Amino acid sequence: MNRTLVVGGGPAGHRLADRLRHHGVSGPVTILGAEPYPAYHRPLLSYVLSGQADPEALRMPALPGIETHSGTAVTHIDRVRREVHTSESVHGYDVLVLATGARADVPDIRGARGPGVTVLRTVADCARVTGDTVVVLGGGPLGVETAAALAARGTATTLVCATPHPLYDRLGESASALLTDALRRAGVDVLAGRTVTAREPGRVLLDDGTRVPADTLALCTGAHPEVRLARAAGLGVRTGIVVDDRLRTSDPRIHAIGDCAEHEGRAVAGIEAAWAQADSLARILTGQDAPAHHTTPAVFRLRTRIAEVACVGAPAAFADPALRRLTYADHEGGRYARLALRGERLVAAVLFGLPEAIASVGELHRRGQALPSDRLHLLLGGPPRPASTDLDPPEDAVICLCNNVQRQTLAKAWRAGARTVTALAAATRATTGCGGCGSDVAELSAGWARETRHDGERTP
Amino acid sequence: MTRTLVVAGHGMIGHRFADRLRALDTARDWRIVILAEEPHPAYDRLALSTYLGGRSRDDLTLAGRDFLADPRVELRLATPVARADRTVRVVVTQGGDRIRYDALVLATGSRPFVPPVPGRDLTHCFVYRTFEDLDAIRRVARPGGQGLVVGGGLLGLEAAYALSRLGVRPHVVETAPHLMPAQLDPGAAEVLHRRADELGLRLHCGTGVAHVHAGPDGAVRAATLGDGTTLDVDLVVFAAGIRPRDELAKPLDLARGERGGFLVDALCRTADPRVWAIGECAAVLGRCHGLAAPGYAMADSVAAQLTGRDAQPFDRTDDATTLKLLGVHVATFGATVHPGDPRPVEVTFADGIARYAKVFLRPDTGTVLGGILARDTGSTSPLRSLVGRPPPADLERLLLP
Ligand SMILES: Cc1cc2nc3c(=O)[nH]c(=O)nc-3n(C[C@H](O)[C@H](O)[C@H](O)COP(=O)(O)OP(=O)(O)OC[C@H]3O[C@@H](n4cnc5c(N)ncnc54)[C@H](O)[C@@H]3O)c2cc1C
Ligand SMILES: Cc1cc2nc3c(=O)[nH]c(=O)nc-3n(C[C@H](O)[C@H](O)[C@H](O)COP(=O)(O)OP(=O)(O)OC[C@H]3O[C@@H](n4cnc5c(N)ncnc54)[C@H](O)[C@@H]3O)c2cc1C
Repeated sequence: MNRTLVVGGGPAGHRLADRLRHHGVSGPVTILGAEPYPAYHRPLLSYVLSGQADPEALRMPALPGIETHSGTAVTHIDRVRREVHTSESVHGYDVLVLATGARADVPDIRGARGPGVTVLRTVADCARVTGDTVVVLGGGPLGVETAAALAARGTATTLVCATPHPLYDRLGESASALLTDALRRAGVDVLAGRTVTAREPGRVLLDDGTRVPADTLALCTGAHPEVRLARAAGLGVRTGIVVDDRLRTSDPRIHAIGDCAEHEGRAVAGIEAAWAQADSLARILTGQDAPAHHTTPAVFRLRTRIAEVACVGAPAAFADPALRRLTYADHEGGRYARLALRGERLVAAVLFGLPEAIASVGELHRRGQALPSDRLHLLLGGPPRPASTDLDPPEDAVICLCNNVQRQTLAKAWRAGARTVTALAAATRATTGCGGCGSDVAELSAGWARETRHDGERTP
Repeated sequence: MTRTLVVAGHGMIGHRFADRLRALDTARDWRIVILAEEPHPAYDRLALSTYLGGRSRDDLTLAGRDFLADPRVELRLATPVARADRTVRVVVTQGGDRIRYDALVLATGSRPFVPPVPGRDLTHCFVYRTFEDLDAIRRVARPGGQGLVVGGGLLGLEAAYALSRLGVRPHVVETAPHLMPAQLDPGAAEVLHRRADELGLRLHCGTGVAHVHAGPDGAVRAATLGDGTTLDVDLVVFAAGIRPRDELAKPLDLARGERGGFLVDALCRTADPRVWAIGECAAVLGRCHGLAAPGYAMADSVAAQLTGRDAQPFDRTDDATTLKLLGVHVATFGATVHPGDPRPVEVTFADGIARYAKVFLRPDTGTVLGGILARDTGSTSPLRSLVGRPPPADLERLLLP
């Protein structure tokens, strides 16, 4: 009998327990979670903030047969005795899984640890956002989602970010400017290129001296892997808890998954990575035919009603001269896309206001598949478009721009006996300007010659 | 040959016009008198730079033997028109000859514009338009020396390329933030900038020339730019734009466009029904055009009018151009977008740093309005047929094959 103990009742821990059960794990599985309630969909917290959903609605399904202790924070790991301690109890394990997630950063701002300030990571944090005016600090995805959610519930919301626009580094100039527009239309006051320097009663102070009224200051300034327990236990820790391809820490009986884990040198914060790692570990622990865990390429998507935004890959790709790049900018329509490709494969993408493309591009990226050659169609959808070769070149297409010679003029000269480029040039002047159309005239002439040979009757 | 046509100017467009008229005038109504200022018949100015690469004046001439031998054509070289009297329909050459006309076509082209900077008249300051200009540059060019080209447009790049072929290291100064500002967006210009670097051109964008300094011999020795940089150069080529040659407007009492040029309507007619203007000297509906293709369209139109045929009114809402600059094909096609129009959708494709294309789409219908292209190879003629249609499935391959 193998006792599996999971520390952390977030999405990663929950998913692991669920998959262990599914694979028929042999011994008991216990979850110890510090939060006062069982696992919920953390990424959907902004719906709680906006009032669209109550916390109950975010609950993940109950796990029959799994022993779950909420409100139970683990304080210590005894690796020698193979037990973990809480303030009230001790739990033995054969296999220990750390799924302690991440902890929100509190920046060094005067008054940041006082009243009227909160980070946003848990249901409890959401309840701390009170009053009629809120300043949200941070131009990352969490800041944007939070600001949009608060504006939607009618709170006078100001978003303060250091970059020229929110999500500037991820989306680039054009798309992040569209995002600012969308936030403003949604009622959020965006103060970009600035930061908060102090929290004072009823307001916050910005670096340019502005004072903004605020009942609550919401800090959306990033998070770091929660590694305190692991570090105290002497496990290998860098940014996150270091794990190998079997998601093992430096102690082979202890594993780590989710936001707290660092795999292949990266601590990826994101629900998809958390789920993928939970799935892999469940297979590994139940002796399934489990391949080594691989990080799957993530698709980043903003969860807000104000705009459809997604991106994949690293923004640096758009400055890589070795790649093929495409941008689509419909400023009036609020739609924007930018793709970077190596060969026919996507390296990075930013998509704004193009929901269908977000779905299809994301899917192609996850599977590492080649993009179709009509990228505009991929972005815009609609019925497939004919290729130019399926359309007859219009008779009045101008072949020689310098001399304004149309295709039909050349065709006429060809019929009248001008069968070489030189003869066509003499008859029509085509090619005698800059000469750039020489190859086109040769091609047309050759095409007509072929057609005539094939069916003696047909002439251009 | 009952009627006399006088053409003032035997440049690219004057020649094209005369040649076209010869072909269309099957009834042989017209005697064509061409009064030319330059001492040689029309030549291919587009290919002027190849003259420094070894092609001769004869190689570049546009007037073939049949043209020169045509009894209907009387070409008088080095005989500029000085004056005219429209009431009696007479032009007067500089030498004082008087020639009566039934139709007068002005095709006097442009002159280079030289910005009013101190030192612009020094020895070894040049312009870049005629055989004589190039001969003068060639005499002074010293391999291993440095030269300054003022202007980063078509002419400036031609001149800079020519200097580098003569062994002179060219600096190019352009007031706009990038090369070819009239035709290109920053993305397309970047392709040119890369190529310019490879060729050893030194670009100074976003600043102008402030002062040209003389050495002890009185010739150019250095130049100072607006940003304070001083360059040791021993020659300067001004290629900062052109101005229409409309000196005859005054003696002929004809109206000028706001920015100069003989003011004409869409059929290239002045207010006098017997007088036309074509090519770079013509301000068609108030606007001059500094490239060959629009001039050809004007020439064809007037030739048709003089032979009683239907003439195409000149329409340049479509400003297509194809140019080859520093070995880069640069093209614009389709309509230009005017201020006040709804902002078009922009689709750009870039492949590495050598190829770039941008297409404008109508925001409402999604059809192609036009585009910009800068790349090393490929033909541009299929692009025109894109205009007015939805972009085809193979758009990207067409633009960057
Ligand atoms: C508002 C918000 C929106 C988000 N939106 C997205 C999104 O759109 N897309 C996306 O990919 N990701 C998003 N994320 C991130 C995503 O929520 C995390 O990647 C995911 O929750 C990670 O799951 P986890 O189980 O590893 O960690 P967590 O969800 O952080 O769960 C860890 C749990 O462990 C508990 N714990 C920690 N230490 C102990 C201890 N010593 N004893 C007991 N319990 C402990 C914590 O209290 C917590 O409940 C969002 C996060 C937030 C806060
Ligand atoms: C180096 C260079 C490269 C170029 N490259 C390109 C290119 O790639 N593509 C393009 O489209 N265009 C190009 N151009 C521009 C193109 O050459 C001109 O648009 C074209 O030559 C205009 O023709 P035109 O007949 O109007 O003027 P011109 O060719 O200038 O001819 C006008 C003629 O009229 C004469 N004249 C003036 N006044 C009188 C008078 N009173 N009496 C008699 N004669 C007179 C002048 O001496 C001159 O010979 C280039 C120009 C230069 C200089």
